[in-house]
Amino acid sequence: MTNHPLPYVGSQAESERILLVDDNPTNLQVLFQTLEGRGYNLLVAKDGETALTIVKKALPELILLDIMMPGIDGYEVCRRLKNDPTTKEIPIIFLSALGETKDKVRGLDLGAVDYISKPFQAEEVIARVNTHITIYRLRREVQAQKDALERELEVVAKVQYDLLPKRLPEIKGMKLSAYYQTSRYAGGDYYDIIELPDERWGFMVADAEGHSTPAAVRMAMTCALLRGYPGAASDPGKVLKDLNRTLCEVVGMSFITAIFAVYDGRDNSLRIVKAGHMDPLLYRPSKGETVEIPCEGTYAMGIEQYDEVPVTETRLQSGDRLLFYTDGLTEQFNPEGEMYGLERLCRQLSKDRGDSPKEILDAIVDDAERFAKGLPADDDQALLLCVVE
Amino acid sequence: MEVIEKKQDGICILTLSGRLDANSSEEFREKILQIIEDGAKKVILDCENLNYISSAGLRVVLEATKEIKRHEGKIMLCALQDYIKEVFEVAKFDAFLPIGGSVEGALKEF
Repeated sequence: MTNHPLPYVGSQAESERILLVDDNPTNLQVLFQTLEGRGYNLLVAKDGETALTIVKKALPELILLDIMMPGIDGYEVCRRLKNDPTTKEIPIIFLSALGETKDKVRGLDLGAVDYISKPFQAEEVIARVNTHITIYRLRREVQAQKDALERELEVVAKVQYDLLPKRLPEIKGMKLSAYYQTSRYAGGDYYDIIELPDERWGFMVADAEGHSTPAAVRMAMTCALLRGYPGAASDPGKVLKDLNRTLCEVVGMSFITAIFAVYDGRDNSLRIVKAGHMDPLLYRPSKGETVEIPCEGTYAMGIEQYDEVPVTETRLQSGDRLLFYTDGLTEQFNPEGEMYGLERLCRQLSKDRGDSPKEILDAIVDDAERFAKGLPADDDQALLLCVVE
Repeated sequence: MEVIEKKQDGICILTLSGRLDANSSEEFREKILQIIEDGAKKVILDCENLNYISSAGLRVVLEATKEIKRHEGKIMLCALQDYIKEVFEVAKFDAFLPIGGSVEGALKEF
């Protein structure tokens, strides 16, 4: 044993540190000798106060803790460590005299992982310490893998955000705003606006089923197919049919819902196709309410080839608010298990908020956030709002 | 989500209750694909007590529908709550499988 200021004993820098706490020098010595030379760094403390100081400095991987000690006893040491976020994960094994079942139960209730009975049996001490160090190593490994995975997802999410339009285009007679939020790093939602000849524009909102990387890959695929569409993507039915043909070959057992609309600035006409997606919403000031534009549409992309894609035609008017969205918003839950729903969204879109699409979208997103009361969204959310001047 | 399986006149009836979402879809997927692999050709999904279905749930229903078709079988979705029915209608899944009849009707139709 040693009186070294930072009571490190042993030399392996990489090995786990085990703190032995007992006010009885003989017990401490028995424990020390039992565990010595087994590849652990052993630290020792003779009372609760010292134990707490060492734990805070050294953050050992395991603590063997005597219960009955003068000053701060083992229960109190345990309670304090479990209340401190930096130390609460450190496993604690209580050292208790044989037969004191109550003590053992109390220790386990306080968050200890195990106990060792006195007088110590060398094999038992070694076995229990090895078990908990193994558990510790496995946990650390799982955590490291989880961290690596999350870092990877963050990279995927970053790539995905880069695919979205850097800024929305200036469209004569129309103001635009978009909102995009993934639920857990990467996601499958996608929105885009592509410029077409003769004052026409293509609006796309899509939702690749699933989450994380697979959904993100499908979203990126949809983006690539639309941006790389040969010729002008001005025939919406043909665009969806062509996108679907390729997606059917690559998507496997999944699908992508989408809505694609071609807007013609010369006559304010809108030709809409949709694939397993929600109808767009339209607020018309003269009507004073928001309604769905009923589009027949077809099933989601990536499942089977389309024979024909029904096109819905409508004409926008001055003051119209046109919203394309994914179901992540309407299916946002609150802690009471209620869903945000279409009605609330329609109500928000109908409110008198001037003609700034950004302000209207912000208000919708705020309203959904208030509704969720802090419950995180299960799904990605994409919104694209067009306000006709 | 809870799934109760029962057999009636050689038809497999799966009664679903709760939420078929990303959390429960994988377990349900394994179960229904196993039932199909074991030779079930007529499957009814009784959705009377199914409260929510997410796109992950839709995917599993779609996969099972494709799989049973390969075995020349058929799945029928029955007794859907309005909201769930709407989800299937928006997704246009009626192109792939019958949706919305009663369990009794489906039993007769098989």
